[in-house]
Amino acid sequence: MSHPATTGPKLRLDAVRKTFTVPRSGAEVVAVETADLAIEAGEFLTIVGPSGCGKSTILNMLAGLELPTGGTVAMDGRKITGPAAERGMVFQDYALFPWKTVFENIEFGLRYGPHGKGLSTAERRSRVARCVELVGLGGSEQKYPHELSGGMRQRCGIARLVANEPDVLLMDEPFAALDAQTRIILQEELLRIWGETGDRAERRTVVFITHAIDEAVFLSDRVVVMSAHPGRIIEILDVDLPRPRTDATRTRPEFQALSQTIWNLIRDEVYRAATAAGSAGGAGD
Amino acid sequence: MAQAAEIGAPPARQWRQSTVFLYLRSLFALAIIWSLIALWVGNHVILPQPTSVAYELFRLVISGEMLVHAAVSLWRLVLSYALAALIGIPLGLLMGLWPWASDLLDPVVEILRPISGIAWIPLALFIFGVGNELPIFIITYVALFPFLLNTMAGVRTTDRTLIRAARTMGVDQRTIIRHVMIPSALPQILTGARIAGGAAWMSLVAAELIGAPSGLGFAIEWYRQLLMTPKVIAVIVVISLLGYLTDRLLRWLQRRLTPWSTGIGAGR
Repeated sequence: MSHPATTGPKLRLDAVRKTFTVPRSGAEVVAVETADLAIEAGEFLTIVGPSGCGKSTILNMLAGLELPTGGTVAMDGRKITGPAAERGMVFQDYALFPWKTVFENIEFGLRYGPHGKGLSTAERRSRVARCVELVGLGGSEQKYPHELSGGMRQRCGIARLVANEPDVLLMDEPFAALDAQTRIILQEELLRIWGETGDRAERRTVVFITHAIDEAVFLSDRVVVMSAHPGRIIEILDVDLPRPRTDATRTRPEFQALSQTIWNLIRDEVYRAATAAGSAGGAGD
Repeated sequence: MAQAAEIGAPPARQWRQSTVFLYLRSLFALAIIWSLIALWVGNHVILPQPTSVAYELFRLVISGEMLVHAAVSLWRLVLSYALAALIGIPLGLLMGLWPWASDLLDPVVEILRPISGIAWIPLALFIFGVGNELPIFIITYVALFPFLLNTMAGVRTTDRTLIRAARTMGVDQRTIIRHVMIPSALPQILTGARIAGGAAWMSLVAAELIGAPSGLGFAIEWYRQLLMTPKVIAVIVVISLLGYLTDRLLRWLQRRLTPWSTGIGAGR
């Protein structure tokens, strides 16, 4: 590790609670109920759970886009009070700027944000070009997002995240809108970009949100399982699968067993949610 | 736009699918119906034949008279349109970005907006008299609202996720306004510009009919008093053509400035 282990976790949620007030009725909804969580530097942590379990709320609080109603969220021991370039984010609907090309999207943070300060134009451009290559978008630099497939768009989203060199990578269901094949490919690519094959100390901290159990198990060092109404952490599981992970990983008995364990934890709730939303054809996420 | 004929189609077929052909065909049909109605009416002052309108149009163009009127009108139009954009876009940004500005100005805008520009003409006659000021005032007034309202709406409907994405890259509020909210509003600002263009042409003619000593609107009224109906219609034809060209120009500008917005919705 680059930092001594005694410096404590990279990210910490301490008795975090988040409530929302429903605009019209004034009723209070508990999104997250007393969550405690410590995320180590260089760790790939996934939060999985049914719709409405507050997993996205936790991610938003880590980003600083939302602030907790109670408790503290901290990074390197310092309380998070707002968004910052140290904690970059990838979004389910890509959130690419439609008026910017792939290159300009990836360049955005470096060009206008604090992490590009002190970089010359040439240095900035070469870093962007490296990121374009890293995610396999070579040749599409001058295209606009609407000209790309969903998978390509999310590659661009990941490149934009990586280019800004954040300390912590926050990923809000980044592959949820993609088809199954593209999703499998991007899962493996994400692990490669994260530095799975390289030195452990080189890896950034990743917090990844998903509702797909197999995705959570495949990617992570640890899986946090959440449950809804109110949103709370019900289990934290270690994933002891060797890295680098490949297609073979998915067929291992440990993979299957762990997936089954997680499914058992949230099954009842998913069924309840599915029957409640059944007539509407199932809720969006 | 590009309904380009299939590859390998014979030239005759390509021509029959071209925009120019489709326009000419419709206009020709219109001219025939017009001619028949004119025959039935049988009164040259009420409704002349399209051929005599074409002849008078030709003469007005050759003599240079049409050019003078059109130039005066266009000059007024461009000046007032620019004024409307210079006032409307910044005000719209202000109101879209900051609630206090919108709270302050929105009631005024909502009270003034339903009043047709034409309603101000009599009052403007008192204030400005007959001259350039009256049509410029009326056109600016009319074109202002599409600019303002569309800019405001465009800024307000900026995708929240895009703002969040920018914030997680650590950029400040000024950058978000400059590089996220304004570009995001641009397609709608340009839609406002097109609506403003159409409104500007309509009010230009109305204002010049009454309150100007020159220009296309003035020419219509002048020849009406002389009972020269073919010339009246010839001027109307020119107004229609210039209005159409203005919109084509603005549409071209829209494509040039917002090349991404053709695929928007599918985008992001």
